[in-house]
Amino acid sequence: MKTDTRKKALHYFFGKVVGPLGFKFTPDAELMDFLLEQEVILQGKHGIPFCPCQPLRHDRARDMQIVCPCIPFHRKHFDVIKRCWCGLFVHKDVLDPDKLPQRSPKEVGLE
Amino acid sequence: MSDKVIRAMSADEVAPGGMKAVELDGNEIVVCNCGGIYYAVQRRCGHMNAPLDMGTLDGTYLTCPMHCAQFDITTGEALSGPVPPDLGHETLPPVLREYLQNIGMMMKHVRTESIRVYATKLEAGWIQIVL
Repeated sequence: MKTDTRKKALHYFFGKVVGPLGFKFTPDAELMDFLLEQEVILQGKHGIPFCPCQPLRHDRARDMQIVCPCIPFHRKHFDVIKRCWCGLFVHKDVLDPDKLPQRSPKEVGLE
Repeated sequence: MSDKVIRAMSADEVAPGGMKAVELDGNEIVVCNCGGIYYAVQRRCGHMNAPLDMGTLDGTYLTCPMHCAQFDITTGEALSGPVPPDLGHETLPPVLREYLQNIGMMMKHVRTESIRVYATKLEAGWIQIVL
């Protein structure tokens, strides 16, 4: 299995899911490539493309909430920070993700 | 030796986004219609031989109905292996649990191989496959 074609497949499937949710891939091509590659590695290891920035707890119910794209599970926080935690997806109106403020769930009253 | 070209089916037998299985000269083949472009791949999954025409075709990505292994039908390349099953929170009877553990142990060693692709030709409304 080649990493590049698997990255392309993930890009294709994720694109179809996140578009209707109001998100798009980050405009930072290098970051996108890096994150997709990490997900390909995780998919190869676990059979599922988990979020590369979250730890696996080996608790299925919890772990399934960090399967990329995990937007529906953490949407309240992502809508405030206008991106997902790892930064693979940003709100459709975001042009420069580096300018987005970092705010924890606690800061925005979600914990 | 020259390639053998066999008429497989009429083009209108496979709707866009659809698949249809056919057996030609002993080869089990699935014809896929990706927006008017026809691809033909081996019918048996490269993981555990499940019939791929019962799976899902999304763009040029074909997902096996049995364990969700994925393939790129343009090249036949295996993109991902089986997805781990969800047994839920139900407590299984010990006999069944042991059986599933044994199956899981054996399945760990099963590799997902790429699948064979066949060249296709569209002529006068007929899909022809090059064997």
